[in-house]
Amino acid sequence: MADTPLLSRLRASLAIALAIALLLGGIGIGTYGEISYRAQKTREVGVQADIVASIVTAALQFDDRRAAQEYVGALAANPEVETAAIYDAAGTRFAAYMRSGATPPRAVPADGSRYESGMIVAVSPVLENGRRIGSVYLQAESEPFYRRISRYGLLALLVTMASLLVAVLGTSRAALARANAELGRRADALDAANRSLQAEMQERARVEERLRQAQKMEAIGQLTGGVAHDFNNILQVITGSLERLKRRPDAPRQDRDRGLTAALTAAERAAMLTQQLLAFSRQQPLMPASIDVNRLVLGLSTLLSRTLGETIRVDTRLALDLAPAAVDAAQLESALLNLAVNARDAMPQGGRLMIETANVELAAGAAPDGDVPPGHYVRIAVVDNGLGMTPEVLAKAFDPFFTTKPIGRGTGLGLSQVYGFVKQSGGHVEMASEPGRGTRVALYLPRADASDAAARDPDSVVSTPADLPHGTVLVVEDDPDVRAHSANLLRELGYDVLEAEDGAAALSILQAGPAIDLLFTDVGLPGMNGRELAERARRFRPHLKVLFTSGYAQEALVHGGRLDAGVELLAKPFTITRLADKLRDILPP
Amino acid sequence: MLARSGFRSAILGLLLFFAAGGPVAAQDAAPEYTIKATYLYKFGPYVSWPSGAWPPAPAPLKLCIVGTDPFGDVIDRAVRGQEVDGRAFVVRRLPRLDASSGCMIAFVSGSAAQSAAEALAAVKGEPMLTITDGAQSARDRGIINFVIRDNRVRFEIDAAAAAAAGLSISSKLQSLAVPLAGGVG
Repeated sequence: MADTPLLSRLRASLAIALAIALLLGGIGIGTYGEISYRAQKTREVGVQADIVASIVTAALQFDDRRAAQEYVGALAANPEVETAAIYDAAGTRFAAYMRSGATPPRAVPADGSRYESGMIVAVSPVLENGRRIGSVYLQAESEPFYRRISRYGLLALLVTMASLLVAVLGTSRAALARANAELGRRADALDAANRSLQAEMQERARVEERLRQAQKMEAIGQLTGGVAHDFNNILQVITGSLERLKRRPDAPRQDRDRGLTAALTAAERAAMLTQQLLAFSRQQPLMPASIDVNRLVLGLSTLLSRTLGETIRVDTRLALDLAPAAVDAAQLESALLNLAVNARDAMPQGGRLMIETANVELAAGAAPDGDVPPGHYVRIAVVDNGLGMTPEVLAKAFDPFFTTKPIGRGTGLGLSQVYGFVKQSGGHVEMASEPGRGTRVALYLPRADASDAAARDPDSVVSTPADLPHGTVLVVEDDPDVRAHSANLLRELGYDVLEAEDGAAALSILQAGPAIDLLFTDVGLPGMNGRELAERARRFRPHLKVLFTSGYAQEALVHGGRLDAGVELLAKPFTITRLADKLRDILPP
Repeated sequence: MLARSGFRSAILGLLLFFAAGGPVAAQDAAPEYTIKATYLYKFGPYVSWPSGAWPPAPAPLKLCIVGTDPFGDVIDRAVRGQEVDGRAFVVRRLPRLDASSGCMIAFVSGSAAQSAAEALAAVKGEPMLTITDGAQSARDRGIINFVIRDNRVRFEIDAAAAAAAGLSISSKLQSLAVPLAGGVG
């Protein structure tokens, strides 16, 4: 219940007031009892004096002191009577009884009974035939103290206990209410703290996401120089070969073929490079999946051998039966790139970068930081023979923004990305370094179930063009050169080809009704994009096969980093081999 | 002033003397009979006579002194102003007592003319409170008989005689009486 502090305070004071009222009531009842008791006692003593007065008449009349003394002496039976005296008409004491220590007054006090300083005094006239012949004086103790105590003690005890009970109950009730209110406030505070914590966690997750992307971009930035250099080399080969062909159109066929092959090979390398860069820079959430680490390392090592510079040799030592790892591929690439960049920076005079993979089993307690469960892991080690690190630097190496590099060369986020990624993946990082000998960083990644390994790698099947089916393909491409090139390739592969420059033209061809087996369309078209074209075409040709092609993973097709179900995509640039493979998948012979 | 203060001292001394219970002989000239004189009428309120025993009010009540009068005018002075049920006393001195005397209270002391015993016998059974002084035998004793005990005037009450006379005597008075010495008459 939600008691306000005011209410609980009110309740406490109410209880105390009630207790006080109870006490006052008890005192009042006691006082009233005492007063009425006194009045009654006073009356009693007065009546007793009256009785004595009426009895003693004859004794006074006939001057019988003995009899009078007997009368007053009889009052001794009443322990409350302190003093009793009989006076004659002249006011002279005639007979008296007194308990030890008490004396009746010499002169007769005024008639009547009254309470005087703890005593009840009664004076009654002795009347005979209407004439006053004397007085009776009676003095009685109101009541012995112990008797009064015993009379009021129980009442006082009951009242006091009741008051205490009420006070205690009231205050404890109030305390309970206060505690409840306090509890309620704390619960509210906790709730608020929880909400702000959740908001903070969401914010943190967003920031971490951005940080990962930034780390990746940082790594790319580190590599940009190398990539540009590599690209220039490739372009050099291509332009050189093509120029030679142009200048010597009548060169022997053998020379011409060699030149064309060199240009094609260089262009392939360039395509692979851009593919890797694109895949790497793609912004995607952390999605642990079953990864063939060897394949990833191989792909990366070719990129690295071109980008790290000619003074650095990139070697790999891969375990043959390596188990798949359950990690996010992009993040693993990012981590390996960061490690490679660090290794390059540690080897300014050149050196050797070795990437090793292995299946390892960690026993309980094998990991130094202790939070890695024992079991089977995939280990990737990046080893260089560069400058190495001192133990002091090594100790801080994983801290964010810790860097030994000059300004402009690094942000210090690289190794912290490695560490964060591995920890998030449920793995473990080991780093060993010695100044002058080099550095070895080993990533222990959790194993994935073997069943879903390799199944999702689209590039795992390499085939040669053979047993090609025949069919009609409608090519939609706004760039006339690319359209002509694609059409030539398709014809070379044995297909009949129709061409359209945009979606509208394509639709009119389709509506015209020729038999078309495949719609091969660019995604990025002016006006109606490729996807819209496919949707509209399928309205009147529901079974029309569609193959998209794009120079970039377009949002029109890709959601959350994955292709929509049932969508076939051939990324540009593509080789004739890959085009043939794709067509064979879609249009089986 | 001196004379006056002396008088007051004397009064005070007298009062103290009484309070201390001095001997009867020291009271005044004839203290014993003065006391007895006042007792004569003081008995009245403690005795009930049969209804119709006396002439109706406002006829005075007769207090008779039969035979020798030991009181003199003390008794006349003593009863002056005294009343029982609003009826005044009148003192009668009689040589003899009989049923027709009409006395409510009769002090019987006897004389040559009629002995105390004869007088008492004459009114036996009459509603008359007979009082004697120092009688030794039952014959000479009235319903109330004065005696001296410890130097004080006390009295005996012959309850049987009172009952025979149709009188009832208050227990208050009876409680003051000394036990009958000479047996019941």
